[in-house]
Amino acid sequence: MFAYAKTLRDNRRERTGVLFALPVVLFLIAFFIVPTVLLFVFSFWQSRSFVLVPDASLTNYIDALTRPAFRQTILTGLTIGLGTATVATVLSYPVAWFIAYRTRTNLLLYIIMLSWFSSYLVRIFAWRTILGTNGLINSALLSLGVIDAPLEILIFSPLAVTITLVHIFVPFTLLLLLSALRNVTPDFLAAARDLGASRMKVFFRVTLPIAYKGFVGSFMFTFILAAGDFITPQLLGGRTGITTGLLISNQFRQTGNWPSGAAMAFILMAVFLVVYFVLVQVLRWFRLSPGLRFHPPVEELRAEMAQAKEA
Amino acid sequence: MKKAWTIDEIKSAMGGAPSRRQLLAGGSAAVAGAFMAPFFPGMARAEVGGRLKLLAWESMPMQSYLAPFLEANGIDLEISSIATQDDVHVQLIGNTPNTIDVTSYSVGYSDFYINELGIVSQMDPKQVPAYNEDDIFAEFYMTPAFAQNGEVYAVPVIWGLNTLVYNPALVPEPASYTDLLKPEYAGQLTFIEDTLATWPMLAKVAGFGDKFPHLTREELAATFEAAIPYRAQSKLFAGSVGDTINLFVNGEIGVLFCGWAGIPTETGPQGVETIAHTPAEGGAMWCDAWFIPKTATNRDTAHAFINAQLTPEGNAATANHHLSGCVNRRSVPLLNDEVRASVDYDNLTQVLTDSPLVGMPPRESDEFATFDEWTAAWEDFKLGF
Repeated sequence: MFAYAKTLRDNRRERTGVLFALPVVLFLIAFFIVPTVLLFVFSFWQSRSFVLVPDASLTNYIDALTRPAFRQTILTGLTIGLGTATVATVLSYPVAWFIAYRTRTNLLLYIIMLSWFSSYLVRIFAWRTILGTNGLINSALLSLGVIDAPLEILIFSPLAVTITLVHIFVPFTLLLLLSALRNVTPDFLAAARDLGASRMKVFFRVTLPIAYKGFVGSFMFTFILAAGDFITPQLLGGRTGITTGLLISNQFRQTGNWPSGAAMAFILMAVFLVVYFVLVQVLRWFRLSPGLRFHPPVEELRAEMAQAKEA
Repeated sequence: MKKAWTIDEIKSAMGGAPSRRQLLAGGSAAVAGAFMAPFFPGMARAEVGGRLKLLAWESMPMQSYLAPFLEANGIDLEISSIATQDDVHVQLIGNTPNTIDVTSYSVGYSDFYINELGIVSQMDPKQVPAYNEDDIFAEFYMTPAFAQNGEVYAVPVIWGLNTLVYNPALVPEPASYTDLLKPEYAGQLTFIEDTLATWPMLAKVAGFGDKFPHLTREELAATFEAAIPYRAQSKLFAGSVGDTINLFVNGEIGVLFCGWAGIPTETGPQGVETIAHTPAEGGAMWCDAWFIPKTATNRDTAHAFINAQLTPEGNAATANHHLSGCVNRRSVPLLNDEVRASVDYDNLTQVLTDSPLVGMPPRESDEFATFDEWTAAWEDFKLGF
């Protein structure tokens, strides 16, 4: 009887949950799933002067993959994406840790979030002013006599793109990491330390596996957006700043070849998926994923505890 | 005819005060109308005035010299900017094109817009009386770039040369394009994402200027092969005219390979002198023509707006503002000295023979390199392939 009532209650809860989720699910089906499926179908078609021709073949994929320029842009995008995601995540973690465990206010978080209130393009042009040949940094270094000529590497280079994108994405990575660290209560950390784990061990054996989704999420989120971006690379990357996003954009805007643009977009998506699976696999190999704890032999544990006691 | 009704007159006409039900029904209809109106963009105005949706180049702040016309006709100009010609057609194609009352094409795009994409509507010549045979130079009157089968599709307004622009404080004046390969230009050069300016000039530098836009695939390959040394001298590729101006002002670049000759008018007020200069190889001619897209709703105002820029005074003001050539022969005496001196109006035919208005590469061809092939070659060039 009680079990039956519980099932009824659970069913009602489930129905309520479905009702709450339905608007977003329908929205995503209508404006993401359906267009994506259509675009996937188009990617096999041909185009003649902005008109789609339903002549299915793998031509668009073969053309893109055999074109050195396309492969080069993929590589540029990957470099920018991986660099930005790594730096943004690594820089955000100490801040997230400080906000989560060492301060009672969110003031620091709000200060970092403040940059969200300015437009994306304004931030790019602001960085152009800071990193430019006659910009803030070069002018300061020149007037201090540190350098004789402006540092050319600062502007119109992959470094300039990475610096700008890190600035743009740090608030995102910080929020995701902070949210994940809220699940790692100080009790867990204290317990691990009491059992003799070093700070590094606490991070790798406790914090990272529990906050796993936050780390992977913030890294992948930043990676995908940075690797797919073409505005910042175009405005700050100089001759090296041409990414796949720009080639895709040209197919849709300039030549009107939607199928070719769609094929390039799906290849890029496949590359992103590969990076995601590689990242997850690497974390598994190093036993940093949830549910894959590494339990060293008892003797090794005892030796570590003895060492900690002596220390 | 009654122009405006007072509330009392409306009540009187309704036979007394409206009932609660009538008020509710009227209110609902008004709300529904306001909500649904944007979904019926084809419902057009039939008089001059109101909001005019204009899609114009980012460096065309035309409100300044058109202010008296706009004010006199009660026109509220809603301007959206275009940075490259692609910004125009991407908004006008597909199943849900944007509502735009007036926009422009560079003559190289005329066939593509009129015949292939079909986004240009026919104009009513009676509503653009300033576009007449007596006043407009023959080179710009009813030629195939603007009129086909006796129907007017667009009217030219200004024209000029796309040419090399340089900052004399950073680099010396180049006599020829080959000068750009000298060490003093290293890292100072930029190309712009304006295919109508850059592609014809690259063809000229490679020795195929007379053939553009009809180059064979081998000639296309040779054109970009010849351009490789220039890429080695470049610092970056500017995304638009606005971006180029910003780069000049910030001292990031010393030379623009080929672009809008009016750039000095934009950098000057920002404290950086730049000079539009035509080297020995010449420049690439451009001409902008206003057209009314098929999605236009305020067509009468669109015609009036275009006509205002073609009158002798209007066309002179437009040309003066953009340091460009005018199309109305009666505008020539009204041009300021600098602008008038920039074109030999007495030998206009010869001027346009020496630097003809060129089209874009064909969209499809077995004989010549197509637009798509030019785009791919341009992308490869930018990437260093």
